[in-house]
Amino acid sequence: MEFAQICDLVDPDTMPVGPMDVSALPGVWINSNPETNGIARMVMSEAAGRLSLQVYAIGPDGLIDWGVADVQAYGSAPTARVGAGFSCRFDFGFAESFLQGMIMKGLLVLAELRTFKDKSNRADYFVREYFALEHKRF
Amino acid sequence: MTQTLEFKQIRDLDKALIDSHVQAMNADKLTGRWTNTDPNTRGMSEITIERIGERFSVSARGVGTNRPIDWLAKSVTALANLEEEAGQRSIALAADFDFGFMKAETYLRVNKGVLVIVLFNTFKDQSGRTDYVTREFFYRRD
Repeated sequence: MEFAQICDLVDPDTMPVGPMDVSALPGVWINSNPETNGIARMVMSEAAGRLSLQVYAIGPDGLIDWGVADVQAYGSAPTARVGAGFSCRFDFGFAESFLQGMIMKGLLVLAELRTFKDKSNRADYFVREYFALEHKRF
Repeated sequence: MTQTLEFKQIRDLDKALIDSHVQAMNADKLTGRWTNTDPNTRGMSEITIERIGERFSVSARGVGTNRPIDWLAKSVTALANLEEEAGQRSIALAADFDFGFMKAETYLRVNKGVLVIVLFNTFKDQSGRTDYVTREFFYRRD
């Protein structure tokens, strides 16, 4: 088994079996910051074992629907069976956003890596924001 | 002549981004040699960030069985970090590593003097290992 750090050297007997449990990811994720000027809300969906993400961001006249992108799920270790994060990519032609999220204590920490592909001379940027899963429990 | 800027969120129109060059930002807080705060880590033991002109390089040492394993990012992108620290606009890096059997898509930033790297590791072999996300912390060595 090849590895680039010893934590990836896994005993074959502890190898995960079956698909990853990604039940912690689907739902409506709300930005904790009501003053955000970026992503306000995300809807993660699961269908036929595949995850997808729809993003709504703050625009001048309301929310801007980014559409839907395929999601790659991640566990928390090479032997993990439970989803703990995700990544996905939105390509708008003039710019691209690579989203990388990880769940910590129920909170989704989302990093957005934004690169501009137009000639606008804008700086590529990085921002991290926090999202909570909407629930009706309390 | 005025230019109409395309956007998908208000943040894209932030004045601080326009006619702003990440390369012109100070990277002194980011560059250097960094050591993992966890002496028992089984992941990365050390990270070195260098700036050569407008480009950055990120290399690391993974903990191996007998000796360290060299990591060298195949691509590094400098990004304006919109999380200002002490009123200063800083730089974050996106660094991608590819070992053939595994790739690691990472981002690095400094928070209160601590270098934080978040790794999204994807296994491309048929080993059955789970793709996973992990985070490690480093203090400045020099």
